[in-house]
Amino acid sequence: MCAHPNPTDRAGGLIYQREFQAGLRKLSTNDYLVLAGTFHGVHAITRSITPKLPLAPSTSPVASSPGTTAPATSGYSYPNPGVPATGLEFLETDKFHLTCFQTLTGTKFLLFTDPLTGNVDTIMNKIYELYADYVMKNPFYQLEMPVRCEAFDRHLGAWLRGRT
Amino acid sequence: MAAPPRHVSMLSISNSNTGAPQSASSDKPQTPQPSPSPQPTSGLRVPSNRKTIYDRHLNRSRNAELSRASFAYLFAEMVTYAQRRVTGIQDLEKRLNEQGYPLGLRLLDLLFYRSTSTSSSALSSSSTSSSPPNRPLRILPLLHLIHGPLWRLLFQRSADALEHSVSPDTPNEYMITDNDPLVNTYISVPREMNMLNCAAFIAGIIEGVCDGCGFEAKVSAHNQPTEMWPSRTVFLLRFGDSVMEREKVLERNGVK
Amino acid sequence: MPVYSFYIFDRHAECIYKRRWLPRPTSIAGKPSRATDAQAGSTGLGQTVKAGDDDAKLVFGTVFSLRNMVRKLGGEEDNFVSFTTSQYKLHYYETPTNIKFVMLTDLKSPSMRIALQQIYINLFVEYVVKNPLSPVEHPGGVGVNNELFEESLEQFVTRVLA
Repeated sequence: MCAHPNPTDRAGGLIYQREFQAGLRKLSTNDYLVLAGTFHGVHAITRSITPKLPLAPSTSPVASSPGTTAPATSGYSYPNPGVPATGLEFLETDKFHLTCFQTLTGTKFLLFTDPLTGNVDTIMNKIYELYADYVMKNPFYQLEMPVRCEAFDRHLGAWLRGRT
Repeated sequence: MAAPPRHVSMLSISNSNTGAPQSASSDKPQTPQPSPSPQPTSGLRVPSNRKTIYDRHLNRSRNAELSRASFAYLFAEMVTYAQRRVTGIQDLEKRLNEQGYPLGLRLLDLLFYRSTSTSSSALSSSSTSSSPPNRPLRILPLLHLIHGPLWRLLFQRSADALEHSVSPDTPNEYMITDNDPLVNTYISVPREMNMLNCAAFIAGIIEGVCDGCGFEAKVSAHNQPTEMWPSRTVFLLRFGDSVMEREKVLERNGVK
Repeated sequence: MPVYSFYIFDRHAECIYKRRWLPRPTSIAGKPSRATDAQAGSTGLGQTVKAGDDDAKLVFGTVFSLRNMVRKLGGEEDNFVSFTTSQYKLHYYETPTNIKFVMLTDLKSPSMRIALQQIYINLFVEYVVKNPLSPVEHPGGVGVNNELFEESLEQFVTRVLA
């Protein structure tokens, strides 16, 4: 299993990056920063291209005239009504899986795992919990700045070691 | 001892706290306010039956638990507050110590109150040898009081070790060890401040308790991490000369 | 299993074909609007559907960035298969000639990798590449919009995948 939790902050700046097991290619710090910025943008776009399904009753009189695309603009719904549209949450490639978890305050956690790793949600929840405990409750952590909290590193490492 | 200013600040705090509910409740007959329904004043909220925390029996919240998270956030803010315009690590530790000191003074009363009222039942498991007198007169009972009952009141467990300095030059030094201080659970001190230990706040509480008992002392917190306990902290208690002299007299007279 | 839309991008990053399927064929509105959409797709791009055109660009941008990111992390030969959000699933297939097939479906759909490959081999190669009347490049979708391809794609999606 290999995992990189990368909390990126609200503006897309990388604030933490750690590799637990080799598996992906090593990148320079700068590349990781660029990657985080790119992902931040892509994440926003993936939300905006959510298919919009026209609502059936409102469209019936207008749509019979060909060539107009009027109905789509007024009333539409998302495929999963009731669930707010999010950006990318899970990406699958031949070599790894990427899980993205966005907190209510906009911080994103990116976890890269081996395709065979199960229970990614559990790992993500635990990371979030540790982040809330050892980063957010630390008086020496400045918001939006890179995370340098020794207790966070220690507990995260210990927990993941205990799992494998 | 810098006690007077500490007392002043602590009094003013308690006045403002207790003052708010009183004035709010006594408002009713005097001032005919146009909107009597919800009080627009923010700040302390007073329950409708006027039972504030001050009206409650002191033993009622004896076994009450406090959210560890809310304490952690509160303490983090306290550290941040203490950090403003400090000149260095020692200054910061001094401020944290000063925040804990009045707490220690007041806790002492509560501690005595609770330990006497239930001494018959709770004493069986306690580590203190005899039924505690209302106030320890010698150093050792005081240290046991801190190590046991005070620690249990604060953290629901005893401290992990109690030692006397082995060096003959410093007979007035005692050490109380906590393997994992509650206040430091979520704190990672930046590398450039690695001498800092935020448990200086606890040291302040201990200092307050010692002073309240009439033992002049300086207490400081020191990092002594081990492999197993990365945030292990030693509280160093240095008693003043007057205390040591009194100790000798009391020993000669056989006071325990 | 609903398929929402389908895009083909050529090696010049241009959208050469797109098509949208709107589910809920129960209402009367469903069919005509579907027809207009299909028409928009077949008569080339940029004619009628303005919002949809931007859509294609956004889809391409997403797919392109993600592909680069995946290659950076997983190595040159790695490629991403799909991603999901809370609302939809996007499937991606890239041919050795750099033509990209993208399909948006609902969340419950299984991997579409084979299906996209099938569309490429059995439909695109057969009816577009092998068509002597079709140009080599397809600027603005020229050549992809022939009847055989359209019809068989429609059938494939509505019958095989549905």
